[in-house]
Amino acid sequence: MGEQVLFAVAAIGAIGFGIGVVFFKDAFRAAVSLIGTLMSVALLFIALLAPFVAVIQVIVYAGAIVVMFLFVIAYLGDRGAVPGPDRLDRWQVIGWLGLIGVGFFGAVAILDSSAGPASPAPSTTDVGAPATIGDAFLNSHLLAFEATSLVLLVAAVGAVILAKAAVQGEGGR
Amino acid sequence: MNVPIGAYLAVSLGLLVLGLIGVMRRRNPLLLLLSVELMLNAGNVALIGFSRQWDDPAGQVFALVVMVVAAAEVVIGLGLTVSIFRTRTNLDVDELSSMRG
Repeated sequence: MGEQVLFAVAAIGAIGFGIGVVFFKDAFRAAVSLIGTLMSVALLFIALLAPFVAVIQVIVYAGAIVVMFLFVIAYLGDRGAVPGPDRLDRWQVIGWLGLIGVGFFGAVAILDSSAGPASPAPSTTDVGAPATIGDAFLNSHLLAFEATSLVLLVAAVGAVILAKAAVQGEGGR
Repeated sequence: MNVPIGAYLAVSLGLLVLGLIGVMRRRNPLLLLLSVELMLNAGNVALIGFSRQWDDPAGQVFALVVMVVAAAEVVIGLGLTVSIFRTRTNLDVDELSSMRG
């Protein structure tokens, strides 16, 4: 019963705020709406017995990524797009066909999702515990862990280079 | 598990389709990146759902890796957006026609 209520609240929140992200004209409002979606998704994670990932979701996504978005939105200011035809213009048919395709295959996947264990045995190991995840990370998925560090290093170096180019563009060093 | 896995997958599909619509419609590069975040979150919901269904932490590990990739993507995406659009008057990806910043 508790899971159903939690799921209902989180699902409605995620989809509702998601609609806000996609359809708000104002960039600031869309970014704040994304926080709502991320919090709702964190609630979904809690309903799925993954509290560690839920906490990381709130800290990393809502706490760091969205704040970075808000900084950039504030920095670039409120410049509108050029008034003109919709982006979908010529490609409208292909775009909507692709959307229908994604929806169709997604619906098939959902209807087919009973392939696995429909209701798992009450978990004996605590899958969502930090200890379990850390163990899985460092023992079974060490390569992914190391690749993660490489990705972060490349992103940090790339950000520094981009910032340097921007400063040089303004005549500084 | 009271709520079937299909319900979580339906939420995931909804978020993915919303993100896709956003990527197709938005012209502001910042809002385009926001829509990409929506799609990445849809993937995470599905991953955690399957992790619960199979009672296996691998799905959660994968979700954490996706979060790292999302963070890196946002850093580079926002850096590019700032360096390209700092000197332009309009925030519009359709205006870009050269690879020079």
